[in-house]
Amino acid sequence: MEIDSEKIHERKQSDYNNLQDERFEIQKEMYRGQQYSQIYFARLHLMRTLLYSLAPTWKPHLPVCKVLGLEEGKECILVGTLFKHMKLKPCVLDEYSKERSVTPLVKPHNFMHPDDNLILEDESGRVKLGGSALSPAIYVTGVVVALHGKETSAGEFVVEDVLEAGLPPQIERPLNLQEDKYVVLLSGLCIGSSSSNPLQFQLLVDHINGYLGDEKVHALAAQIVHVVIAGNSVEFPRKLFNGQNLASKDQSTLYEPIKELDIMLNQIAAGVSIDIMPGLNDPANFALPQQPLNRCLFPGSAPYNTFRSCTNPHSFDVDNIRFLGTSGQNIDDLDKYSEAESKLDFVERTLRWRHLAPTAPNTLGCYPFTDRDPFLIETCPHVYFVGNQDKYDTRLLKGSEGQLVRLICVPKFCETGTAVAVNLRNLECHTLSFSTQMN
Amino acid sequence: MKRGGNPKKRPPPSHTPPAGKHRATGNPTPSPVIGTLEDEFVDEDVFMDESLVLGEEDEESLILRDMEEREAVSTRSSTWARPPLSPAYLSNSEIYQQLEIDYVLKESNKELLPGSSGQAAVIRIFGVTREGHSVCCFVHGFEPYFYIPCPPGMGPDDISHFHQILEGKMKESNKNFSVPKCVRHIEMVQKRSIMYYQQQKSQTFLKITVALPTMVATCRGILDKGIQLHGLGMKSFQTYESNIVFALRFMVDRDIVGGNWIEVPAGKYKKNARTFTYCQLEFNCLYSDLISHAAEGEYSKMAPFRVLSFDIECAGRKGHFPEAKHDPVIQIANLVTLQGEDQPFVRNVMTLKSCAPIVGVDVMSFEAEREVLLAWRDFIRDVDPDIIIGYNICKFDLPYLIERAATLGIEDFPLFGRVKNSRVQVKDSRQQGTRESKETTIEGRFQFDLFQAILRDYKLSSYSLNSVSAHFLSEQKEDVHHSIITDLQNGNAETRRRLAVYCLKDAYLPQRLLDKLMYIYNYVEMARVTGVPISFLLARGQSIKVLSQLLRKAKQKNLVLPNAKQSGSEQGSYEGATVLEARTGFYEKPIATLDFASLYPSIMMAYNLCYCTLVTPEDVRKLNLPPEQIHKTPSGETFPIKLEFEKVYFPYLLINKKRYAGLLWTNPQKFDKMDTKGIETVRRDNCLLVKNLVTESLHKILIDRDVPGAAEYVKNTISDLLMNRIDLSLLVITKGLTKTGDDYEVKSAHGELAERMRKRDPATAPNVGDRVPYVIIKAAKGAKAYERSEDPIYVLENNIPIDPNYYLENQISKQGTSPWKSHEVNINSYSFKQRHYEICQETTELCWLQSFDQVHHGHLPLNGTLCSRCKGREAELYCKNVSQVSDLEELFGRLWTQCQECQGSLHQDVLCTSRDCPIFYRRMKAQKDMAVAKQQLDRWSF
Repeated sequence: MEIDSEKIHERKQSDYNNLQDERFEIQKEMYRGQQYSQIYFARLHLMRTLLYSLAPTWKPHLPVCKVLGLEEGKECILVGTLFKHMKLKPCVLDEYSKERSVTPLVKPHNFMHPDDNLILEDESGRVKLGGSALSPAIYVTGVVVALHGKETSAGEFVVEDVLEAGLPPQIERPLNLQEDKYVVLLSGLCIGSSSSNPLQFQLLVDHINGYLGDEKVHALAAQIVHVVIAGNSVEFPRKLFNGQNLASKDQSTLYEPIKELDIMLNQIAAGVSIDIMPGLNDPANFALPQQPLNRCLFPGSAPYNTFRSCTNPHSFDVDNIRFLGTSGQNIDDLDKYSEAESKLDFVERTLRWRHLAPTAPNTLGCYPFTDRDPFLIETCPHVYFVGNQDKYDTRLLKGSEGQLVRLICVPKFCETGTAVAVNLRNLECHTLSFSTQMN
Repeated sequence: MKRGGNPKKRPPPSHTPPAGKHRATGNPTPSPVIGTLEDEFVDEDVFMDESLVLGEEDEESLILRDMEEREAVSTRSSTWARPPLSPAYLSNSEIYQQLEIDYVLKESNKELLPGSSGQAAVIRIFGVTREGHSVCCFVHGFEPYFYIPCPPGMGPDDISHFHQILEGKMKESNKNFSVPKCVRHIEMVQKRSIMYYQQQKSQTFLKITVALPTMVATCRGILDKGIQLHGLGMKSFQTYESNIVFALRFMVDRDIVGGNWIEVPAGKYKKNARTFTYCQLEFNCLYSDLISHAAEGEYSKMAPFRVLSFDIECAGRKGHFPEAKHDPVIQIANLVTLQGEDQPFVRNVMTLKSCAPIVGVDVMSFEAEREVLLAWRDFIRDVDPDIIIGYNICKFDLPYLIERAATLGIEDFPLFGRVKNSRVQVKDSRQQGTRESKETTIEGRFQFDLFQAILRDYKLSSYSLNSVSAHFLSEQKEDVHHSIITDLQNGNAETRRRLAVYCLKDAYLPQRLLDKLMYIYNYVEMARVTGVPISFLLARGQSIKVLSQLLRKAKQKNLVLPNAKQSGSEQGSYEGATVLEARTGFYEKPIATLDFASLYPSIMMAYNLCYCTLVTPEDVRKLNLPPEQIHKTPSGETFPIKLEFEKVYFPYLLINKKRYAGLLWTNPQKFDKMDTKGIETVRRDNCLLVKNLVTESLHKILIDRDVPGAAEYVKNTISDLLMNRIDLSLLVITKGLTKTGDDYEVKSAHGELAERMRKRDPATAPNVGDRVPYVIIKAAKGAKAYERSEDPIYVLENNIPIDPNYYLENQISKQGTSPWKSHEVNINSYSFKQRHYEICQETTELCWLQSFDQVHHGHLPLNGTLCSRCKGREAELYCKNVSQVSDLEELFGRLWTQCQECQGSLHQDVLCTSRDCPIFYRRMKAQKDMAVAKQQLDRWSF
């Protein structure tokens, strides 16, 4: 047969560790009546230390103040957490207290309004920010920045210049990688939704496993050393869970998508190591960091040591190349409360702010941490990916200290049939697109 | 600086303390500390920096600072003060808008009224000029008077005799009158009584002018009883216009209406050598020289009144509402706004003990309470507000300040009125029903209590400042329980700052309400239209407004008003209008609504009904009036009344004659609103569930035209209720606690609960005057409703089941039956069946759970395994569990971040315990549920 004549390609090997994920795990932490003030406090404290250390080189001549210590007309540097006052921001009170209006509330995609304004807060107080140096369209609640400016007689702090924390330091990228090795990123399989096409996903799985195409394709497939699924793997109507016990018929239909996913993952895990992250629609908790999908959901794949259920956000190293990624909630939330020309701009901003999810907990659900803020980005990743975006997009970002970061928007697979492959050798990336046509 | 009593725990940051700060103080930069630090240590570290900065300053700079501070105080009061008077002021006409008119007894002014002696009533008019100068004008020469009909046979020559007799009687009745002559003069005038049809154009009246306003009543009494007149015998008199407030009498006669502009021409006024008030301009004039400007053109504008909005905080003892005898005033927040401007120009807060600065606010801290109170008094004198506003200031803040100062023995405190040496006094009065009310008179400053105004003008379910601002300003106010206030005060400068911010907000909200509801404009215009002084609008009822207008018209027409003897009960009750029986039902056809065009005025005009066309039966006989020339009421005749088309209801749900709902249309394009009458959605003793149920189903019936949908909705709600799936806050009923439990004759749910709560924790238990929220819980059979009331928080914390039947029978059925009955949603039969089914379900589930508890663990794994029944269903059961957690997490996040937003701080813990807030219970519940759900979910990690 033909198969015998073909060259057998052996899959390349790589080193993998996800020790970085530890900070996203919620183990001993409990809800003991703590509130969100503490995560803000931790964030402010850590970021302030950093920004204070940058201040002398940024504006050597200026004193550093607290909001309390502001004096009218005196130029100084203030460090604090931004709060964006937004007119259109949906308010949970309205849902409960307002009389039912005749016209139903429309849910806009973006809650920006020209009247939005920024406020800076530290533990001592708040001050309203003015001036054109700081655009309310760009910043969101929860970002910690240093501001240069002065207080006016009206009690407003007119900002003249802004200092963000900037890209964090990066671990050195191994330059001795000789061969092309790929990590495949995909997201939004949405098994169980009407837009999901099982054949498409099967094609991807077959490609990864080297069942498709000719020798050249096989050679490429063999270079895939790791696969990451960045959230929203299944989709089912959430409301089925609420309320009464489900009829047994419903139970089985409910379970169907997960079963299907397990079968597919089983196929991948047999050949290559795979990480699965939870997303907004997955059967996982809501608040960030989302905890790994329970292994009991994957009776078929879970026994493989190549199968890992991970947190969202997720950070891991493959051959000492550091990856950091989310299933997209952080960027989608920025898209609702701020503006940018492309989604990648949001991604870039979070890196410059050194914070994965500044809008958490304000508009993005998050666990009320008491002594830390796990979303601070202390080390710059080499690859920073965001799942469940509308379209594929990527850019290479260069930091002032020589950091090099590959930013990637991973598209929804169910809508685009596209996965992204990143080359560990040079951080270049390309798409893997699959389409099926039935006539 | 120790952060001793700070109740808040801050997280220990895991990194180095701010390095920059340390360098600035000359300390060696500490090596990075890895891991977590004791939080107290870090806190002190941060504060130590500041104290070090202080310590390094030499004494010289401290002295400098002290001087600066003193300077700051003097600049402060100069920015507070009113604009200085220009010299031109003393030669021009004085034109100002008056706010308050009253009178005082003084020695009569010899300069203006030569030949007068003794005491006289001097009218005092306070106001503000266009430039913002405060004015007090003393008006001399106006004397109180009233009328009596001239007895037949009395001629001009008999007047002096009559005068003598009356004078004698007056002197007899009160020997203390310190005037040479009680009855100043009596003259004959031609007037006509407004009462009864009269043939002659006018008749003779005697106008009796007395020396002092109080003498009017004395004189009226004498004339009522009757006096012996030479040649006429004993005669008693009906008096006319003898019950008119002196200030109003003056205003009517000088054509002055409340809040209008008054001019005193140049040269017509005299300045006082020694001033009596703190007003910038003070002068005397004759009443005849005043010019009153009608509120038109230039004179319809408003002067730049100074509006002071303030709020005080007191440190109460645990378990007691603050009492002036024991509890200190710890903070006073003040905001002063010029009428017509949208931002206050003075924002300050006076605190007892140090307080950290607040951006944009002048914080003044004092070590002794006495200094706080005196600083406030000085502040009032410097700022010289025309209008003092606040929330419940009349009954709480002002009396409290006065009583507190009295307790502390600060005699000079109550001198913040406009009149020198006149103390502000508190009077107890019980005028409005049983409510105890206190009246504080601050001479020359108009008090406007937003609480009283809103209570009078709006029907709301709650009148707490929180819910009022939620209603009008769509803003929730952070509510700090008074037991926490003391803790905050006993903390440090930071916690007191927290309190100050709260206090300032409480001072700011009344100002915003005042602006939002346009109270100044509305009340000034109301005063202008009805002609009464502005202060009457809040302090007095409706009839004075009518009287004022009647008097003004009567004066034009040369009529006089009799002093009608009225005592409500004697007048008997009138039968109300006839209301036709309603044809109840749900009308899906447009229903036109017609209205009488001005019903009462048109009846009056059609039938020529007036005081002056009323014919006494006696006159009918005397004048031989034929029956066709008079009308008898009620006539039963067809009315010559014009009906006008008003609006259309479509669809229209008519429940009975006083209860209906419908969509109101006044144009063919779109309906205006849903109009409901008598369907009580705002009653406070209903829980929110009922209100939502009624509103929602009316919405479905009327707007969506989905009657089955409405029925479905009701069914679902009832089913949710029976299945215990209703949010607790929807079930909370609140009632005001008017007296302590023992005083209630009939045991009440809220009274009993208050007693029970007092036994649990006297500090947070509701006090008399508080509103008590409660829910009805399940209890043993036969337990009385009042025994089943429970604190919602307690219910949340202890997982106590609520009693759905109570809500179904006492709340939903009572309120809601009728709207649904009219289109055959028989709620009772439905609910009975449904309830039966659901409760069965609920109990079976419960029993099943209980009996299998050891093995089953409520669908949750124990020690890593599920029970045998659930084996194989892991994925499904896990999904169900995790989805509940997920929903809870979402809710938890949204609720707690909303509260952060409300309190205006991200870095401080939320303290608010406002039970009026729609999300308060949800927030507490989310926190508790979250803890449980998280633990349950953790059982799956094996």
